[in-house]
Amino acid sequence: MLLKRICWVFILALLATANSHAAPTKEAGKELFIANCASCHNKNMKDNLTGPALGGVEERWSGFPRKDLYSWIRNSQALIATGHPRATELWNKWKPTLMSNFTGLTDEQMESMLLYIDAQYKGGGDVTNGPKVDPAASKKEESSIPWLFVGMAIILGLLAFALMRIIDNLGNVARVQEGEAPIQKNWVTSLTSKGFVAFAVFAITLLFGYKSVDNATRMGREQNYQPTQPVAFSHKIHAGVNKIDCQYCHDSARRSKQSSIPGSSTCMNCHAAIKKGTISGTAEITKIFASIGFDPIAGTYIPNYESWSEKQIEDLYKKWIGQEYMAANTLTALDESGRQTVDNQWDGLVKALKDDTNGKIQGPIEWTRIHNLADHAYFNHSQHVAVGKIECQKCHGPIQEMEEVYQYSTLGMGWCITCHRETEVKFTDNAYYNQYERYHKELNEGKRTKVTVADIGGLECQKCHY
Amino acid sequence: MHNDNGIWVSTEDLMQEASFLQSAEKEFSVENIDQTDGKWSTNRRDFLKLLGFGLGAATVAASCEIPVKKAIPYVTKPADIVPGVANYFASSFVNGGDYCAVLVKTREGRPIKIEGNTLSGITAGGTSARAQASVLSLYDNRRIKFAGTIADSEVQKKSWADLDKEIKAKLGAGGNIRIITQTNMSPTAKLALAEFTAKYPNTTVATYDPVSSAALLAANQASFGKFVVPSYHFDKADVIVSFNADFLGTWISPVEYARAYAKNRKIRDAKGMKMSRHYQVESHMSLSGSNADNRILVKPSEQGAAIVALYNALAGTSGGPQLNEKAAAAIKKVAEDLKKASGKSLVVSGSNNVMEQIYVNKINDLLGNINVTVDFSAASNQRQGDERQIFRLIEEMNAGQVAVAIVWNANPAYELPNADKFKEAFAKVGTRISFNTTVDETTAQCNYAAPSHHLLESWGDVEPKAGHYSLVQPTIAPLFETRQAELSLLEWADSQNLNRQDDQPYYQYLVSNWAGDLFQKQSKYSTPAAFWDMSLHDGVFEMPAAESAVTFNAAVSLNPAGVTKPSGTELEISFYETVNIGGGQYAHNPWLQEMPDPVNRTVWGNYLSVPLEWDGVNNIDGWKGFKDGDNVEVEVNGKKLTCTVVRTFGQMPGTVSIALGGGREAGGCGVGYGVNVNTWLPFEGGMLQYFAADVKIKATGTVDKHFASVQHHHTMGVKAMGKEENAVINVDEKSLGYKGFQGSLTDRSIIFQTTLNELPKFAEEMAEFHKETKHLNEQSLYPDYSDYYGTGVKWGMYVDLNACIGCGACQVACVSENNVPVVGKKEVARHHEMTWLRIDRYFYGDFENPGVVYQPMMCQHCDNAPCENVCPVNATNHSMEGLNQMAYNRCIGTRYCANNCPYKVRRFNWLDYTTADTWPSNEERVFWAEGDDKPFYADDLVRMVLNPDVTVRTRGVIEKCSFCIQRIQEGKLTSKKEERAIMDNDVRSACQTACPTGAIVFGNLNNPESEVNQLRNGAGALAYQVLEEINVRPGVKYSAKIRNTNEELLS
Repeated sequence: MLLKRICWVFILALLATANSHAAPTKEAGKELFIANCASCHNKNMKDNLTGPALGGVEERWSGFPRKDLYSWIRNSQALIATGHPRATELWNKWKPTLMSNFTGLTDEQMESMLLYIDAQYKGGGDVTNGPKVDPAASKKEESSIPWLFVGMAIILGLLAFALMRIIDNLGNVARVQEGEAPIQKNWVTSLTSKGFVAFAVFAITLLFGYKSVDNATRMGREQNYQPTQPVAFSHKIHAGVNKIDCQYCHDSARRSKQSSIPGSSTCMNCHAAIKKGTISGTAEITKIFASIGFDPIAGTYIPNYESWSEKQIEDLYKKWIGQEYMAANTLTALDESGRQTVDNQWDGLVKALKDDTNGKIQGPIEWTRIHNLADHAYFNHSQHVAVGKIECQKCHGPIQEMEEVYQYSTLGMGWCITCHRETEVKFTDNAYYNQYERYHKELNEGKRTKVTVADIGGLECQKCHY
Repeated sequence: MHNDNGIWVSTEDLMQEASFLQSAEKEFSVENIDQTDGKWSTNRRDFLKLLGFGLGAATVAASCEIPVKKAIPYVTKPADIVPGVANYFASSFVNGGDYCAVLVKTREGRPIKIEGNTLSGITAGGTSARAQASVLSLYDNRRIKFAGTIADSEVQKKSWADLDKEIKAKLGAGGNIRIITQTNMSPTAKLALAEFTAKYPNTTVATYDPVSSAALLAANQASFGKFVVPSYHFDKADVIVSFNADFLGTWISPVEYARAYAKNRKIRDAKGMKMSRHYQVESHMSLSGSNADNRILVKPSEQGAAIVALYNALAGTSGGPQLNEKAAAAIKKVAEDLKKASGKSLVVSGSNNVMEQIYVNKINDLLGNINVTVDFSAASNQRQGDERQIFRLIEEMNAGQVAVAIVWNANPAYELPNADKFKEAFAKVGTRISFNTTVDETTAQCNYAAPSHHLLESWGDVEPKAGHYSLVQPTIAPLFETRQAELSLLEWADSQNLNRQDDQPYYQYLVSNWAGDLFQKQSKYSTPAAFWDMSLHDGVFEMPAAESAVTFNAAVSLNPAGVTKPSGTELEISFYETVNIGGGQYAHNPWLQEMPDPVNRTVWGNYLSVPLEWDGVNNIDGWKGFKDGDNVEVEVNGKKLTCTVVRTFGQMPGTVSIALGGGREAGGCGVGYGVNVNTWLPFEGGMLQYFAADVKIKATGTVDKHFASVQHHHTMGVKAMGKEENAVINVDEKSLGYKGFQGSLTDRSIIFQTTLNELPKFAEEMAEFHKETKHLNEQSLYPDYSDYYGTGVKWGMYVDLNACIGCGACQVACVSENNVPVVGKKEVARHHEMTWLRIDRYFYGDFENPGVVYQPMMCQHCDNAPCENVCPVNATNHSMEGLNQMAYNRCIGTRYCANNCPYKVRRFNWLDYTTADTWPSNEERVFWAEGDDKPFYADDLVRMVLNPDVTVRTRGVIEKCSFCIQRIQEGKLTSKKEERAIMDNDVRSACQTACPTGAIVFGNLNNPESEVNQLRNGAGALAYQVLEEINVRPGVKYSAKIRNTNEELLS
């Protein structure tokens, strides 16, 4: 009897949890937006990209039923075909650019995205860039229990309590009918009954157990980690606007297990000519010059740069920054703000290049490493890039849109495993896979439709741990 | 007594001693972690407290902060380095006369592994344990880090310029200059030396070798007019007779000889098998002796008599010293065998007596072997030393005739028997300069240190054999402010040929030398640049050998009076060089110290081998009742030392033996292990003799607390022979099967051996055995997985026990490749050695003179693995490629797997051997070298040797052979990228590439064309799996050991 009751309460609670997942949230919206929209729509929601800026979309569609907006998102061409006025207006403005269809999105999901779009537009959008974390500060992950859950839990708790009382009363009615004395229970005795205490202990243990395991598995994971880098390098400018191939700079990705950060010499391939940045002017690119020893005024590399004193370096680059400032503002001498700029940029340069371990300006730029895989996990970039032919964005996210890079994926083992389960091996293109005769036979006979990474051992321990 | 069917490993095994049975039943040592040394006194309760606190602390610590990691790129990226991808550079391992053509594997500019260079005509890709371990000595913090003056064994820093100035002043003062060195095979170094000598004409060089072959050189001078070692062609010899020459282990060019020797020993085709026959005449069981078909026991002082006896038997003469009866009869039979193989036989001797070597030359001459198997056309330069030079030098120094002495890669203050006299005389030299890399015994006596680079930081060339050139190139920028010895010599000689402006002057010097004389000699390349570039790329350059036939000088008189006379004493002692430590030059390399001696299986030191005594009934015991680990006082020629006993089968009764190379006093982590027996070496006719006849041994009643022999560690299978009627070892298992099958411990199928004569019959028995086991193994409830393993790759291995000589190169290669930690002597004594690959040594046959089988034993990667299904957390499991996988991070250290492993190949990290965490109490028991302020692996410099592709294991997890999974992954990736099928050469395990004889072959079992399948099939029924009958389905197959025994000698 009691057991049954507990079961019911538990099942109800579970159902409530399951349902609550569908409620629209900004967080869910962010994920959906990145997965579906971010390749065409600017995530600041204010500027046009391939597609229009989405900020204020709800107001623009406010004159029409909400479901029109849904159908527009699901299949825009179909809506245009019906002659919907807003749809036609948009098409005339943006054709021939087609919007992709997203027939799989539910209404709730779209609401989530709209929430997110609105939040981004109105400036509450720190979710987009991920938490801004100072590298020296703690990277503890935040986890908040949505109030919705709490509310639901309270309601369900009350419901369960009420139901228990009803059952008790019904039991008493039955007892009275059979001539037994009714058992009087007030809420105190109910709450201190063996059954309830057992249930409470069970529930608390479960909750704590779940939270411990959950937190333990997440220990050391740093999704959305976005440290400030010594050089404000913009992937958006390089990979997005200028469409430089990822592997131009990260050239070892196809050859090695590591996709190394390019050396200053690689930067100089272009920046020997492009001496000023679109956003930062001389502020950032001068750091590269100072790292490798390039004289931007003369356009040559400095011989014996290693032996230069900090004063010499300072004189050269301050002169360069000042000269460019004057040229930009058509001045013949530095004004007060110019001197300020020169000093600020020089200070930034020193801060970026000189640290405790390397007591001088010369030498490598020490970037803060964003993607840190556990030491006991072996990952090989070239396997994924050269053999699997996987796009960098699959794991690293929309890098071409990132002003500052953040960790897009969890890099957790579950994430790896899921992908290995789902990803199909390019089985017939590569003679290496000819040895899997059984699979080829099954494919030919139609017994098998695809071969996944897992099928050829992609889930085995020693693929990644040795 | 002859034991017909069994194999055994030791006396305890033969006698079924209770302690042995007990230890064999237990996977883990009786001595547990709680036992204290006075240092560690934590008990279980403390542990639990710590655990509780530790967990809490770890949780608190982990929840706070993740350290910020930096990613630091190159400033200017070198074109040929891709981070994460290894680069290989062809180079040479050379130390005195030791030579091996190698490839050095570097990662991000840091050498981490030595591989053999297959282009070399001498070593052909084979390596030695010494070559494998040389990479560790690069990262030795005890190397001298700068030039300077030496006071109290400390180097006081001086700039090179100041040092040069000071030394040049001393050199120019006009006094006699003497250079003390060992064999030098570098043509360009000799050129540098010649420039030095030209500048300072009062210079002479005294060359000696740590273990001398001076008599061989002198005898060749007398017999053939050439002061060189000829090329010995072991592959062309059907009958090989070795008089105490350990040509497979240590004698002159063991890697080269082992390869040639194994050629005629491997099983190619079990049916029409042919083999050479190898006789070894010795008293102590050497590595070569243990591989011989017949061993003839003679006392060390009877070597001469044995050689003369063979000569007499061949030449039909008589006379000479008296030999023991048994050996004399055997020698006659050997002579008959040799006669039949005239022109196709080879007689060698390790003796350091000139007349004995002349006799050997004459024997080879009589047999028509000269210019056939004894070939002077590509003569070896690997031994050039003559200790008479250094003895003469001692006299000179004593007489005050030497003003400057330069020590160049030699250590006479340790190596010479009269080291005290040397030191005394050396002190009389005003200026004493050392090029040595550590403050060793001799450098401590010097007043200037001009430390040379490590080999892996040096440029150089080697001419190990006439016409065979090999280059040495640096694979890392010098770690310390050292300078190559050759450059120092040129600098002091004010050489005009040195481009001092260049940042690598000696490199330029080397290139110009090759562009000159050497380029003229060759005709393959048309420009010096092409010649240099290609030679550097290949690492070796070989010219066709100039034909140089020699004839035995008829004027040489053979005088039996010149050979050693048998002493007639009751007890004799012999001294031998070991594969790992050599004459002591390698004592400071922990990888080599921890590699067990192949025969004794002892580590960390040298031990006195005593023979075993059989009472004729059923008791076998050590001579005089000595037990392993007993300390005894040994008096040789009046000098006493305390040695530790190890009982050794095959040691001739009436003799004992001990290895050289122990008891180092300075210069590295080998200090304090073993005893320095060099002081016992007598010299006769100015030449060192490696035996002494005047020996007294006295028990001391003490034992070596940390006696470290791995003999009884990880024993697989206990036999109950002889007393089996009474001793029931394991009722269940015994009652299970009949002899030889199904788990019966009485005769498990670990080793199969036979003689060549009995091979056809034996092959039939083996076929029957396989049939039987197959039948048994098919009675299974479980489904057949052959289909599962049949697709894709299935990895497997084949080990030819006829080619395996037990040299241990594979073991050190495995340690190097897989970051296997060094644990130190105390830990080895507690059964805690971590080696993934061990070389088991089994005896069989005659108790007094047994045969030996070496069996490299690593994880067998069973398809039906007993370890896998006992793991409670599934940390060890099977891959579809047939690999038994081990996930360290999942392991919780129950050690169930190790307990259940029938092969005993799993190792547990009892302590934090690699100092992966920072609890100080964890560090106390791990290996600390003498005088260090931190554990061995806590030194950042040492950690540079770690392979970045292999996880460093921490305390509390099991580890074992992975079939070099990192190499498998790399090979698979390469073939995937090249979009082609995987081939044999894509994946070669570290043990396979290290092996000088090609005994280990690894490959894809699903490819019928793969080498591993070819060899397994070729061996037919002779290929077996260890414990085949227990249905674990191992991925490794071994071949039965076949001996071409001369049965007549056994009777």
